[in-house]
Amino acid sequence: MSYEPKLVAFLCNWCSYAGADLAGTSRIQYPPNVRVVRVMCSARVEPAFVLEALARGADGVLLCGCHPGDCHYSEGNYKAMRRFPLLKQVLQAYGVEGERVRLEWVSASEGQRFADIVADMTVRLRALGPSRVKSTLQADLVER
Amino acid sequence: MAQPRIGVFICNCGTNISHVVDTEAVRDHALSLPGVESVRTYKYMCSNPGQEMIAAEVRERGLDRVVVAACSPRMHERTFRGASRAAGLNPYLFDMANIREQCSWVHADGPAATLKAAALTRAAVFRVARQEPLEGLTAEMCPTTLVLGGGIAGLTAALELADGGYPVVLVERTDRLGGNLARVDLTAPHLDSARDLLTERITRVRSQPNITVLLHTQLKSLSGFVGNYTAVVEATKGVAALAEPVRVGNVIVATGYREFDASRVTHYGWGKLPNVVTSFEFEKMLRAGRIETKDGRAPRYAAIVHCVGSRSREFHGYCSRVCCMTALKYSQEIKSAVPDCYVSDLYIDMHAFGKGCEDFYKRGSEVKTLFLMYGKNERPVIRRASPGDDCDMLIEVDEQLSGERIEIPADLVVLMVGMEAREDAGEVARLVNISQDKDGWFMESHPKLDPVATTTDGIYIAGTCASPKDIPDTVAQARAAAGRILARIARGKIEIDGVFAEVDEERCSGCRICNELCPYSAVEFDGEKKRSHVIPAACKACGACVAACPSGAVKARHFTSEQILAQVEGILA
Repeated sequence: MSYEPKLVAFLCNWCSYAGADLAGTSRIQYPPNVRVVRVMCSARVEPAFVLEALARGADGVLLCGCHPGDCHYSEGNYKAMRRFPLLKQVLQAYGVEGERVRLEWVSASEGQRFADIVADMTVRLRALGPSRVKSTLQADLVER
Repeated sequence: MAQPRIGVFICNCGTNISHVVDTEAVRDHALSLPGVESVRTYKYMCSNPGQEMIAAEVRERGLDRVVVAACSPRMHERTFRGASRAAGLNPYLFDMANIREQCSWVHADGPAATLKAAALTRAAVFRVARQEPLEGLTAEMCPTTLVLGGGIAGLTAALELADGGYPVVLVERTDRLGGNLARVDLTAPHLDSARDLLTERITRVRSQPNITVLLHTQLKSLSGFVGNYTAVVEATKGVAALAEPVRVGNVIVATGYREFDASRVTHYGWGKLPNVVTSFEFEKMLRAGRIETKDGRAPRYAAIVHCVGSRSREFHGYCSRVCCMTALKYSQEIKSAVPDCYVSDLYIDMHAFGKGCEDFYKRGSEVKTLFLMYGKNERPVIRRASPGDDCDMLIEVDEQLSGERIEIPADLVVLMVGMEAREDAGEVARLVNISQDKDGWFMESHPKLDPVATTTDGIYIAGTCASPKDIPDTVAQARAAAGRILARIARGKIEIDGVFAEVDEERCSGCRICNELCPYSAVEFDGEKKRSHVIPAACKACGACVAACPSGAVKARHFTSEQILAQVEGILA
């Protein structure tokens, strides 16, 4: 069996989670590799959540929030927008491929967009192959 | 912590879930998870028998936490929280796994969907084990409402509230009440007088003892939260009418619009050609009862140009909604005052959507107006006529219906200027903490289901500050906003959801990063203790402060790091 990546997605409650729900009510098909965690706002997502997901074996992490200007909390997505590149830089510095983490805007009306993003990311993760974060951490622990 | 006793309830949703997901396999998996005491599947968990099954199972098996694997929590979280409460559990000791919208409806591969449903259920079980019982709070509701703006929206809202028996403070920037409507003569489509409409409102507002009218006044600051706001107002000119801050429970923003600046469309020549006037300048002529050119002649040719600043690529993309009917009103008024005048009406599309408007359009078509259709991206050009011509100006237009480029004569041109957000809308939005859309209009909580409230609790919007509107829509929104507030005042107290952030004072270093981050000013700093704290009623639970706190001192109730990490662990276990 070919390798199937595990994708953890943090979706904001107001836009992106509703967008993912809309993909469902519209019966838009996308790869089952994604598992969703609902947060109230993309600004709630701490770097630790992304790191924990990678450490526990996620091959990719997706964060989705409302489009700029549309945030339910006025500007939470701008906070996510500023934080995410920093996290990505840190991860890349430690050898985690940049494509494993991704920030996207998905509105409540963009079911198709959510499905497309998940499909695209799944293809890219499949091409990258399994993440080495979990196995490296485990090997590290054994050495100690 | 004692080992939790979790019940898992898996819904087949008829066959919506079970036609793809093997719910019996999910059941078997759930039974193997730590803390799970009981797992049941049922065809419709949200039905009365389904909910009763949950309650019975909780009682008989002594369960203390519930997971429902079914549809989206956006659909039935409230239902199952209610079922948990009915079973005697705290409703926050419940979680949902979305195995329909985000599983069976989007994946056709049965085994893969079943694996995913099991993972989502496991994540919910891991999460619910770490959830805590929460209680909401109640706070007082101050019965006074602050209304910003003395136009038709503000006046109407103020009257509705005051007639309901509650105090209103009506703040108006200028020296008089009436707003933009006071600049209008007759109103379409009924041709009733704007002055009559306003006089009735203003006289009643002036004599209504519950309403305090403050002219030459504007809002300077607003602090607090729903039911308990403190407003500071300041004079725009002269001395402030209220020196003391006002305590208010709710705020209605009814600050209106401003007209589009016609000089921005250079090819219409407004400001350069003396007989090109805006619709508001034309209203002034109508109120004076004289339709004439600058040098006092009756126009032989009049032209009305629609969509000035509206529905255009360069200016505003939206429709200003009232101009088409007002333009029809003008052609009728010109024909009735100057019967020999040739009236041309240059439009893109004729929008006659309101009640009575299609009839008005039909009547307007009967007064021998020449309707000329131009393309959205081919705007007409107005220029001065040559000395030999028998008119002042010529309008060149690519007429869409004939497909020809034609020139029409004009002695008087009326530009139907659109509505736009006021220049100070951004400042008002910042003061009361609401959002603006890309065009600067104030944003509603939900464009269809909640077009009156905003995302800040206790702040409502009415009239053209939210989007271009005609008078009936403005009045309806103003009354709706007032009605919402009346219902809340009548309850006396406000209930605050149990989900909000809280600061652990022991861990807080007093750095104040969270104070600045909060879009609702819900995190306050105690200067004496040198610690921050959250005002629960003002907090909307976004969690921005939680993620930013360098000491980990802020906790998002019901979305704690521990709970979210447990969910991640469950997903990947």
